[in-house]
Amino acid sequence: MKELLVEIKNLECRIGDQEILKGLNLKVNKGEVHAIMGPNGSGKSTLSSVLAGNDNYEVTNGSISYLGEDITEMNPEERSWKGMFLAFQYPIEIPGVSNINFLRTALNERNKYFGKDPIPAKDFLKMVAEKSALVGLDNKLKNRSVNEGFSGGEKKRNEIFQMAMLNPKLSILDETDSGLDIDALKTVANGVNKLKSSENATIVITHYQRLLDYIVPDFVHVLHEGQIIKTGDKNLALELEKKGYDWLKTGNSIN
Amino acid sequence: MALDILSKTPFPTRKDEKWKYTPLKKIKKLPFTNNSSFLIKDIKSLNLPSFDGLSIVLENGRVNPNLSKSLNIKGVDVSFLSTSKENDSFTNKLKTENYFSLLNSSYLSEGIIIKVESGVKVQENINIINIVSSNDSLVNTKLDLILSSHSSIHIRQYFLANSKTNNGFINHSNNISIQNNASLVLDKFQDLNNNFHISNDSIDQEESSKFISNTFSMSGLLTRNDIINNVNGENCHSELNGIFTPFKNDHIDNHTTINHHVPNCKSYENYKGIMKDNGVGVFNGKVIVHENAQKIEAFQQNNNILLDDESTIYSKPELEIYADDVKCSHGSTTGQFDQESIFYLRARGISLKKAKELMILGFINEVIQKSDSSDYIDFILARVLEN
Repeated sequence: MKELLVEIKNLECRIGDQEILKGLNLKVNKGEVHAIMGPNGSGKSTLSSVLAGNDNYEVTNGSISYLGEDITEMNPEERSWKGMFLAFQYPIEIPGVSNINFLRTALNERNKYFGKDPIPAKDFLKMVAEKSALVGLDNKLKNRSVNEGFSGGEKKRNEIFQMAMLNPKLSILDETDSGLDIDALKTVANGVNKLKSSENATIVITHYQRLLDYIVPDFVHVLHEGQIIKTGDKNLALELEKKGYDWLKTGNSIN
Repeated sequence: MALDILSKTPFPTRKDEKWKYTPLKKIKKLPFTNNSSFLIKDIKSLNLPSFDGLSIVLENGRVNPNLSKSLNIKGVDVSFLSTSKENDSFTNKLKTENYFSLLNSSYLSEGIIIKVESGVKVQENINIINIVSSNDSLVNTKLDLILSSHSSIHIRQYFLANSKTNNGFINHSNNISIQNNASLVLDKFQDLNNNFHISNDSIDQEESSKFISNTFSMSGLLTRNDIINNVNGENCHSELNGIFTPFKNDHIDNHTTINHHVPNCKSYENYKGIMKDNGVGVFNGKVIVHENAQKIEAFQQNNNILLDDESTIYSKPELEIYADDVKCSHGSTTGQFDQESIFYLRARGISLKKAKELMILGFINEVIQKSDSSDYIDFILARVLEN
């Protein structure tokens, strides 16, 4: 029996006056990989932002529960402490804050939340060495300011490096393949695969099927106008690659 | 002599371009007194970073011998105007003649004269702590500093108010001469709470000398820094860095002038302002590259963050160039916290409060890392975050 990790029920949300998600339902169990695909403007990135707790988006209806707890109103840092992780489509540059200091702060804030002592410097550095090797992150980048002056590919590697450091239960990868050449894509996907276990789950948000050759999904969902209009296995992604989305938009209803 | 000129000098008003953003009405109205009593019992009560080397504590304009720590440093001559027989120091020429430097000369409470002999590289820091601890106390102090050729020294000045002291006024002047191949680092820490502070600094640099000024202005009803850096010899390096944090009705004004009189010099200026709670910040930096001062590289930057809608910054970076073969730039930015950055940090499990702290640290990092002492860096960071 698989254990339910996250359940999104009838989620509706808006930004400003614009409704984006219009009754979205999704269940993700531990050990699963879900891909969410869909045309531009279908609400993919909104879904990832709302899951991570970005308060630019207002949830107007429905709920998100995570490990049995309703987190719809929970702030982003608490979601992170409880094991949620969003790999950003456009990772943010934070000038003047080193990657290392940023990550140590993040880990220690989580330790504080769980009433644990700060991580000893030696353990921390060992962990950094281990996890950065996983995604082939250049040594120099660890001491540089967060994402500042990183290339597109370096930023994405850095996201997966952070994911490895934080070891989340639910990872949401928002267009992690965009801006990556094929070698970088393989490295990043390889990193993600190594972090996969029966205890965690991954939601992969992507435009293209390409990434799914490397991170093989158990389920593929098609998002259109704020709802999931079709769910299938990995073959659905291949079909979408061939036929596009138009054949789904017309005539097919949910289920 | 100074008194004569002072009596003929009008009190500055906002019609004066140099005081456009800084009203002096409050200073004019106050019934300042001279009160040279000693009220501070223990230097530790000031929570300053630990001192090594020499420390001179001026309280209400007089040297407080109980708090000071004297130390003979070879090649460094320290004397005081109040006890010195030579009552004319080298700078009685009054280089910067404005109302407050004249007031300073006319009613001088105490002056410190430090002379570093040729070739002497001073390892110890020199700490000069200038405190006002009586209400309404007017304190006029100055430092005359001569670095002879090939010497170097690091001076740390603190301008402070005792807690609960109101409406005191420390009016200070720094008159500095840096001779050829000499090098000076001057850190200024200003934390005046409900008191006034004006500092008129005049720095003359001779050939191949180096001057680094780091000014950390934390609070004050009115804190005004006028720095005039005259670069008179070739191959000089000049750096003016600053962090200013006017919160809770503070008003902090940085006026700087770098005069490049000769060719082949470099100057860098970098000021960061953080404003909150009706705090007002002013940056007016001017770099003048005089005729024939070719091959000058001068860079000036002022960045500001407004933490709320009630705070204000006036930023005026200025370049005046009369030579034709120079590399100069200046710029100013003002913004608020970037919400996307805050969300990014929070999404990694960094609490909102800590995320804002990190953003502030990131913002001032470039300037604060100029300091060579981690104790001092931690001291400044803690003070900035305390607000």
